[in-house]
Amino acid sequence: MFDTEREIIESKIRLCLDCGKCTVVCPVAQHDPEFNPRLIAQRRLSQNSHSPQDETIWQCISCYMCVERCNYYVKFPEFIHGLRAEALAEGAQLQCTHGGALQALQHMMAREDLLQDRLSWLPQDIELSEQSDTIFFVGCAPYFDIVFSDLEVNTLKGVEGALRLLNRAQIPFNILANERCCGRDLLLQGDREGFLALAKANMQEFARYGVKKIITNCPECHYTLKVDYPNVLGDTGIQVMHLTEVIAPLVQSGELSLGELEKRATYHDPCTLGRCSRIFDEPRQILRAVTGLDVVEMEQSREKALCCGASPWVYCGAVNRQIQDQRLTQATATGADILVTTCPKCQIHLRCAQKSRDGKIPQVEIQDLAFLAARSLDIGGESVG
Amino acid sequence: MNKSAIHLVVFACNWDGLSCIEEAARGGLTYPASVRVVRVSCLSRVHQGLMLKAFELGADGVMLLGCEPGNCQYDIDAGLVTREYEKARIVLGLLGLGKERLVLCHIPRGDGPGFVRRVTDFIKELEQVRPAIPARA
Repeated sequence: MFDTEREIIESKIRLCLDCGKCTVVCPVAQHDPEFNPRLIAQRRLSQNSHSPQDETIWQCISCYMCVERCNYYVKFPEFIHGLRAEALAEGAQLQCTHGGALQALQHMMAREDLLQDRLSWLPQDIELSEQSDTIFFVGCAPYFDIVFSDLEVNTLKGVEGALRLLNRAQIPFNILANERCCGRDLLLQGDREGFLALAKANMQEFARYGVKKIITNCPECHYTLKVDYPNVLGDTGIQVMHLTEVIAPLVQSGELSLGELEKRATYHDPCTLGRCSRIFDEPRQILRAVTGLDVVEMEQSREKALCCGASPWVYCGAVNRQIQDQRLTQATATGADILVTTCPKCQIHLRCAQKSRDGKIPQVEIQDLAFLAARSLDIGGESVG
Repeated sequence: MNKSAIHLVVFACNWDGLSCIEEAARGGLTYPASVRVVRVSCLSRVHQGLMLKAFELGADGVMLLGCEPGNCQYDIDAGLVTREYEKARIVLGLLGLGKERLVLCHIPRGDGPGFVRRVTDFIKELEQVRPAIPARA
């Protein structure tokens, strides 16, 4: 279970040399001089650590850029998550984005007696194997598409694309009708109690169906189920794979061929899939397997990819918007028609920036990788266009 | 919260919505004590986050009580609240709690008996649907 002091030690923050490289690469620090990872560490580790409360801890976007640069791989974001848990325990109030709708949703999803009705979107032609011990973990996409309907996001298209690719590759899988949110956002904002409730509810659901393997399309679900659940609950005995890890080898070996799409696309590495899970090549292998698709890289990509600029539904402001603008500008500079990502949250955050700027910001199309791959095969769920 | 009663949160706009509730009080009309009224300047201030928060805290139903079309004091009318109401309803459906737990009402200004009737009818409907939602521990 959780022990904040132990977590802070395990983040290796005491190895901090005070060199400031983290601050140089931190996208938040670049736009906000008040935010300084090195000084946050210094303030917390100094003698008078507890007063007053450090307000800047809420601005970290957990992009792991600092970890990438740190000579000692100090896990600064995990140190921050520990500080947030401490702050919440001391009565800090979260500044929730979107009116706290996501937090309310996550807390309600943690109820044990919940019986969701969340599969009405599932297209008839998707073949499920009810006996299979492999499941596809859908994540919060059905909820996102409603909560963010005014942003005109369609994160379910990515999920549908993923399911169609799995069907095409003849990989059997089932979907659980009552899966919960993986809880990553609650974990990142320091709400340990909420995270644990969701994790336990999900584990009960997995046990009930004898789940042995999980495939996800959302990088956050992937990392949480694969790394955070075992960290907190002990070994789960479940193998967790990201869709790109399943599809890329099939594409490489020629067992699965993709279609054609005459477009130029650039791939945006979601922080959680890239820097956290170290999955950089697989998404690119899939994109390159699409005939006619011109794949170009942005100024910052792979390990150095810029974050989509937002936090786990807390504390979003002008700085976050500047980061999003910067990322969209990088995408446009490549001349790409499509910005491809695998994360529904990246889609939401970048789309939010596009929408709020009312056409004054690059309107590059944002698409999920799985949807694009399925679309190239004419199985994306809509006509090619 | 005592879970034997149906807990209802009413978001009432400061103008026509609240005037109905005040009129009910002035007329000595009664309605269950488990109805909590939250006064807001305009229903357009109530977004899906607040509606869902009420359910998270253990409400069995939420009523949005606002002005009739054309009566909005801020010229916004029901546009914003309708959008948020529709979203929250679909989310409640996905969660399996049931869309019918959230209602949007426009009652004529100062209609106390109308408000009491709507509230008691809504409570009766909620008693029919499903067992009360357990509040978060």
